Amino acid sequence: MKKLLVIIRREYLGRLRTKGFVISSVLGPLIMIGFTVVPGLLISMQTSSATKVAVVDLTGKMYEGVRESILTSRDEEGDRREGGRKNETAQPAVVQPGGEAQLQQAVQAVGAQYEVEQVATGGRPVEEIKHELNARVRKGELGVYLVLPEKILEEGRAEYYGRNVSDPITTSQLRHSLNRAVIEQRLREANIDQNRVRQLSKNIVLETTKVSEGGLERDSGGGFALAMFVGLFIYMAILMYGQVILSSVVEEKTTRVSEVLFSSVKPFHLMLGKLAGVALVAITQYALWAVAFGAFALYGVGMLASRGMDVPLPRLPLSFAIYALLFFVLGFLMYATIYLIVAAMVTTEKEAGQMAMPVIFLSVISIYLAFPVIRNPNSSFSFWVSIAPFFSPITMLVRIVTETPPFWQIALSLGIGMASVVFFVWLAARVYRVGMLMYGKSASLPEVLRWLKQS
Amino acid sequence: MSENGVTLALRSVSKKFDEFVAVDDLSLEVRAGRIFGLIGPNGAGKTTTIRMIVNILAPDTGRIELFGEQMSERLQDRIGYLPEERGLYKKMRVGEQLRYFGELKGLTAREAETRLDRWLERLKLSEWKTHKTDELSKGMQQKIQFIATVMHEPDLLILDEVFSGLDPVNAELMKDVLLELKAEHRTIIFSTHMMSQAEELCDDICLINRSRKVLEGSLREVKSSFGRRAVALRAEGGDAVLKDARLVAGVKSYGDYVEVVLAEEADAQELLRRLVESGARVTRFEQVEPSLHDIFLQKVGESA
Repeated sequence: MKKLLVIIRREYLGRLRTKGFVISSVLGPLIMIGFTVVPGLLISMQTSSATKVAVVDLTGKMYEGVRESILTSRDEEGDRREGGRKNETAQPAVVQPGGEAQLQQAVQAVGAQYEVEQVATGGRPVEEIKHELNARVRKGELGVYLVLPEKILEEGRAEYYGRNVSDPITTSQLRHSLNRAVIEQRLREANIDQNRVRQLSKNIVLETTKVSEGGLERDSGGGFALAMFVGLFIYMAILMYGQVILSSVVEEKTTRVSEVLFSSVKPFHLMLGKLAGVALVAITQYALWAVAFGAFALYGVGMLASRGMDVPLPRLPLSFAIYALLFFVLGFLMYATIYLIVAAMVTTEKEAGQMAMPVIFLSVISIYLAFPVIRNPNSSFSFWVSIAPFFSPITMLVRIVTETPPFWQIALSLGIGMASVVFFVWLAARVYRVGMLMYGKSASLPEVLRWLKQS
Repeated sequence: MSENGVTLALRSVSKKFDEFVAVDDLSLEVRAGRIFGLIGPNGAGKTTTIRMIVNILAPDTGRIELFGEQMSERLQDRIGYLPEERGLYKKMRVGEQLRYFGELKGLTAREAETRLDRWLERLKLSEWKTHKTDELSKGMQQKIQFIATVMHEPDLLILDEVFSGLDPVNAELMKDVLLELKAEHRTIIFSTHMMSQAEELCDDICLINRSRKVLEGSLREVKSSFGRRAVALRAEGGDAVLKDARLVAGVKSYGDYVEVVLAEEADAQELLRRLVESGARVTRFEQVEPSLHDIFLQKVGESA
């Protein structure tokens, strides 16, 4: 037992001091911050000046409606959710919270603006006006111009011209605005009060509340996301550290240290020590990232909140967090044993080539299995997959967050999980000892099975 | 130190890999405080035998007793094993590496630290303690490996080709260390292909070939029981005497002397007397024992 600790300590401390660990600990949060901050900065740079929109109104009656609609476009989503309480102020820079589309929200947060101008047709042919406007667009005086044909109300078609037609934010906002103006005009011409229509077509709000043993709690759907996140984290950790385990085992084979080691410790202790040491490194890495991310998130949420943006934080009970941590560790250990077994079979890292395949295969299956489990968390199917090795970390978590099963089932799942980890470590140790010392070569699967039968 | 002075006993030990018999019904005893040479050609089963002794492999049949007990994991800490294929972590610093191996043999970190300092000093490697192992020459790495083998003061040392990669100065240093360890009444099993080294150091030998024991005993017994007697002779004249088949079985010429193999029942004294009588001038007449090398060649040749 003391020797096991010596092995764990070497694997753990030795790796914490490597350049790779230090670099990824620092770079991880930086990349994370980069991914979240940089796009926001880029968008705010592009839209920091108002986009000029020219409107060529061939109907002669749409311009005012369209103008108002564009200038209030940012209210639209909010209007819908709040049941048609129309915001009469046409202040374009006002930030209205509550948008469902994140894109929309991002634009609102950075305050996209439009300036709208009418193009006097003066009876000139459309082609001539377009020609003139194209020139202005090329010079950069104009961002976009819209052509509203005479039959826009009947045919529902308008034209959009701009230097950048693949900018999804501007095109979708203008389409929405135009759409609204056209519908309102149609309603007006049919003598229908559009405010009344809004009231009547008000959307409902579905408040979801989870019924569990602890009483009623509100569940914002963050529970399911939690299970998926844990699955993703397990997968990421395996991608990063599976290779570490593999090379750590293979190094001892190529340098022949293993023969010296085996004259001092049991292969089982060696394998277990490696697994535990590397798992601790992975946990340390994640903890560092979590601290960095937590600090950043607190700062970021505070900053956004101060700008009037409502960031919905998933509210989850503490027990979920503990279970999530337990099943993350279990999942990491389980999948890491696959690397351990393969490492025991090969003599060089190259031979381990398609290593990630079974890991990807098994984790994808467990994500597929999560869907029937969500729909029916207490079926016997759900029970069996949530205690099965390799699937339990994700499926059991899904069950916990949807309809928490009795405690004994969770304990059983953890117990079977740990037992299978120990079994796979034992298996790897066996393959290692028999394969390397007896034959000194890489093993095929049938050979491994044969060795397992002999002592 | 141990029962009947026997440190290690193998009793009818056999090991098979699939259909290949690596060790076949091997029995031997290694006495305490002696240097025991385990010799044999490549593929004879030496490494497999050693791996069974250090508890890396388990024998299929038979028993291995160390210090009078059945071999077990617990006893591993009393063995120091230097495998033929060296193994050190390349990127680890020398000091850390030795401490790690020491701790794996049950030393505390502090004990390991003081002992490794003493050994590094003894083998003149102190200034390399904080260097990474792959910065060291092969000979230095060899000495580091040796320290890792002996630093926990094992009662039984198993050294496979301990001199390989060492220059004559270091080989001499190593030999001194081995004799010191022997003087501390530690038992050493010494495996080698180099018969001259075995001859120089070993008290007892065991020759195995093709998974089986061919020869065993103290070096002295082995040599004297070996049926071949010879005389190194340098003489002018006396050729007729050397042709006498009742006295001489064969003559081999070696530069400035000849090796005369005596016929069975013949006496070296009789040969000398006859040579002198024949008027030959004898400048060298020396009874030579067969070297371990010759014994090895003959025995391995016989059983092939």
